[in-house]
Amino acid sequence: MILEARNIQKTFTEGRETIPVLRGIDFAVDRGEIVSLEGPSGSGKTTFLSILGCILTPSKGDVIIDGERVDAKRLNDVRKRSLGFVFQQFNLFPSLTAVENIEYALNVKGMRGREARTEAKRVIEAVGLGDRQAFLPRDLSGGQKQRVAIARALAGDAPILLADEPTANLDSVVGTQVLEMFRALAKKENRALVIVTHDPKVRAVADRVVKIHDGRLS
Amino acid sequence: MVDLATKSLLHDKLRFLITVSGVAFAVTLVFVQVGLFLGLMDNASLTIEHLNADLWVTSHDTKNIDFAHTFPETHVKRVRAIPGVARADNLIVWFMNISLPSGSVEGTEVYALEDFAAWNFPWNVVAGNLQDLRRGNYMFLDASAEKRYGGPFQIGEYREVIGRRLKIIGRSEEAKSFTTTPLTFLDYTLAQSLVPSELRGNTTYILVKLAPGANVEQVRGEIKRRLPYNDVFTGKEWAQRSRSYWVDSTGLGLNMYLTVFLGCLVGIVVVAQTLYTSTMEHIKEFGTVKAIGGGNADIYAILGKQAAIAAVLGFALGAVMAYALRPLIYKIDLKLVIPPQLFAIVFAGSIVLCLAAAMISFRKVASIDPALVFRT
Repeated sequence: MILEARNIQKTFTEGRETIPVLRGIDFAVDRGEIVSLEGPSGSGKTTFLSILGCILTPSKGDVIIDGERVDAKRLNDVRKRSLGFVFQQFNLFPSLTAVENIEYALNVKGMRGREARTEAKRVIEAVGLGDRQAFLPRDLSGGQKQRVAIARALAGDAPILLADEPTANLDSVVGTQVLEMFRALAKKENRALVIVTHDPKVRAVADRVVKIHDGRLS
Repeated sequence: MVDLATKSLLHDKLRFLITVSGVAFAVTLVFVQVGLFLGLMDNASLTIEHLNADLWVTSHDTKNIDFAHTFPETHVKRVRAIPGVARADNLIVWFMNISLPSGSVEGTEVYALEDFAAWNFPWNVVAGNLQDLRRGNYMFLDASAEKRYGGPFQIGEYREVIGRRLKIIGRSEEAKSFTTTPLTFLDYTLAQSLVPSELRGNTTYILVKLAPGANVEQVRGEIKRRLPYNDVFTGKEWAQRSRSYWVDSTGLGLNMYLTVFLGCLVGIVVVAQTLYTSTMEHIKEFGTVKAIGGGNADIYAILGKQAAIAAVLGFALGAVMAYALRPLIYKIDLKLVIPPQLFAIVFAGSIVLCLAAAMISFRKVASIDPALVFRT
């Protein structure tokens, strides 16, 4: 398994009150597998995704990537090396062109110069936006922005891709196209893909559906 | 490497313009204020520097060259007798009234020597021969008088100085005092005869030129011993004392420091405010940088670079504006002195202060939770 979560528990403190959000989750996903993580609002799915993405640390339990337990002190390094993210609101840098958005992410991950530029062009071609690579995000449609975000997540060789409601800001047709493209690329490049969603269309592209309710998988 | 810092800064052109303008305004303010101050200070010791005496003998506790007090002129003989003294001459500096053709009376600051040529003073003579001053009731007038006295003067014209009709036989340029009162150059004896009650048998300074190889401190010590009721300064000390008088006694220094401080404060506030607002508006982008593996240092580098760009461009614009103001300032008889050291200090200060302003945003960046990228 490329990504495992063992007995993940997370509590938040509000004043004197301790609120349990995740109550002991075991989860695993393999390379090339696509998992849809579904649940109602407040069920803890985004918190769980943040923990899988090494953005939050669990109160208890371990995240294991490629057989290695994630050290809480090295979350940045793990994110650089092993993870790619796609966000609901795209989160592209408005001052950078489509290809620069991808190249900058590669720069942050440590890839520089011609190598980064070549890789950025490869992935933007892969998502079908070769002719839009010099466009600023404001000149792209919602679907195109999300494709750039997917290209950014794919850039480099991160084995795990995590997507948070990737179709929430897209219309039904575009959402379906984006999901199918995302699935095809993840499969082709043998990446694990976890999609947190409310959108029933995601089921069509997922290999497995996992439901989360009140901080537990059901 | 994609230059997110520069592209992001230039993306919002209005904000960028405001930031650069803030720095430029502060830089111009500092250049103009300090430059004017240095210009005034330059005038305060200009004649001292051009007389180029090794030692100045003054009456006791004289504050600056313009406010001279008298002492017996025979003291010069005691100075001339000291080994190591190559030349010693009396110099009178005295304010007198001058009547103008219009009928009005103005002030003039008189410099009187027996031998102007020996001291190469005034240093920039554009008409006339200084040797002629001792031949009669003659005067040299500095060109700065034209503006102050309301019109041009010609060689051969007459002016009344304390009721005595003197012929203008020469003109100098650049000879100015801190008080902006135009300078007149008279023969030493003539000056004494104009104000006999104060100046007969008296002088206001003794200029001392040392022989080659003479020890300044030894000669100074000997002059002090022989003239215990006078003060003796080196040229540098006397220039500094004259400048310090105006700085300390007029509040000019305080005014300058205060304006420089306010200029810096305005610059810092503008840069800090725009960078902080920009940080807040781009907080999700910075969260994204963290989410994809970047650390605080990556974001600090972005903010630092933006601050440095604003500093460099603001400095350049501010310096251009200050230089553009120079001719206007010269027109009102003031000088804007911007020496290379000031240029370097203001440049370094702009960078440091802009980086300091960026640090206010650093605190915000450090507290960014990358999990905010999942929030809508």
